[in-house]
Amino acid sequence: MKSRYGLFSALTAIVLFIVLETFSIVMVVKEGVVQRYKVLGAVRSVESWFWERTSKVSYYFNYKTENERLTAENLQLRQQLSRYAAAQAELDSVVRIVEPMYTFIGATVIRNTVDRQHNFLILDRGSAEGVEAGMGVVTSRGVIGIVGAVSRHYSYVKSLLGTDQSVSAKLAGSGAFGPMVWTGTSPDIAQLSQIPVHIQAAPGDTVLSSGYSTIYPPDIPLGGVVSSTVSQGSSQVITVRLFEDFRSLRNVYVVKNNRKEEIEGLYEQAQ
Amino acid sequence: MNKLNEILFFVMVFILQLVISDYLHLGPWISLSLIPFFIVSISLQRSPQAVMLIAFGLGIGLDILSDGVVGLNAFAAVMAAAPRKFFYRLLVNSDRQDKTEILTPRDAGFAKYLRYLGIITAIYMAAYVLLDCVSFRPAGFMLLKFAASTVASTALCLLPAFSLQHRN
Repeated sequence: MKSRYGLFSALTAIVLFIVLETFSIVMVVKEGVVQRYKVLGAVRSVESWFWERTSKVSYYFNYKTENERLTAENLQLRQQLSRYAAAQAELDSVVRIVEPMYTFIGATVIRNTVDRQHNFLILDRGSAEGVEAGMGVVTSRGVIGIVGAVSRHYSYVKSLLGTDQSVSAKLAGSGAFGPMVWTGTSPDIAQLSQIPVHIQAAPGDTVLSSGYSTIYPPDIPLGGVVSSTVSQGSSQVITVRLFEDFRSLRNVYVVKNNRKEEIEGLYEQAQ
Repeated sequence: MNKLNEILFFVMVFILQLVISDYLHLGPWISLSLIPFFIVSISLQRSPQAVMLIAFGLGIGLDILSDGVVGLNAFAAVMAAAPRKFFYRLLVNSDRQDKTEILTPRDAGFAKYLRYLGIITAIYMAAYVLLDCVSFRPAGFMLLKFAASTVASTALCLLPAFSLQHRN
């Protein structure tokens, strides 16, 4: 009788172990972090409120660096604007005005992690400001991530510093492109792969976003080439030092692709 | 220590774990966890099924309340909880009379307790690192992260363990 009870106990323990572990793996695979944000909306809202206040404190100590960065970015944008204004005046006479492909929503980072394998950010803009899941997040110095979930006034962004994130990137000179992923060791370093071996990539060359997706605009500077190695004899893996310092992120832009539905509709038609 | 104080103590340790998870960032090489301390400290009178369920609850609670991926700590906690009894018998007390309910370094002897805690932490970290990084990161990175996290977390778990001992 006792041995039967022991056998039954062992069997239930094994079954329970399998059930709990399977349940855990399913949650991990199904991106539980986004689900949690949706399910625990109220808890997240309280946390977001708290993070917003703590981020203001940390910003106070970094405002000088941030201010200098924004001034430089502003100067660069003004120079670009003056060039575009001149070109636009000429174009207006012959070309009809079309809706721009991308519009940007300014946002402030109130929470940011950089030391995990699945990093994330919380922004102080949500559905009320037009942010939707699937939109890209960028700065003038790089791609930051993709919006995973939104509440009314906050959004959760899956950082580029994550095991499951990649951005289509190209070498500025040759235009050769491939997926760029974070290496997982330092928030500054990523790897651009699938670059043909005949393409020359010298240290210091700039890597840009390719724009071959509906998420990120093209030609955003992402980083500089550090080194390259040949992988499996057929392509190069290029180590890239990212321009953006993820540790001190503050102001970002959420990207809305105004033609996303049209492009995706085209894919569906083709299939 | 009476039952209420004991519960309060463990709640405080769990809050400490939440603070560590959310605000103590040591880089991608080290993950700190107090969950192995909880697993080692669950009453020795509890059945393996109960220990696994408690460990799962702790893990999922930590995943939900901190900034982790839901399921990651739960997976690792159950993995470490399942063989707890086996390692307890192997490393601490091979006779089947458990005189104490909650194990402390004083009850087991420091060396035995450290070995036991170290093994449970190692299993926890192996499961955690494997699920977090497998197929995304090179084996060298995973091994280094496992080793660094096991050593650091074992040392961290000793702090509440000694605190518990002094309270008893």
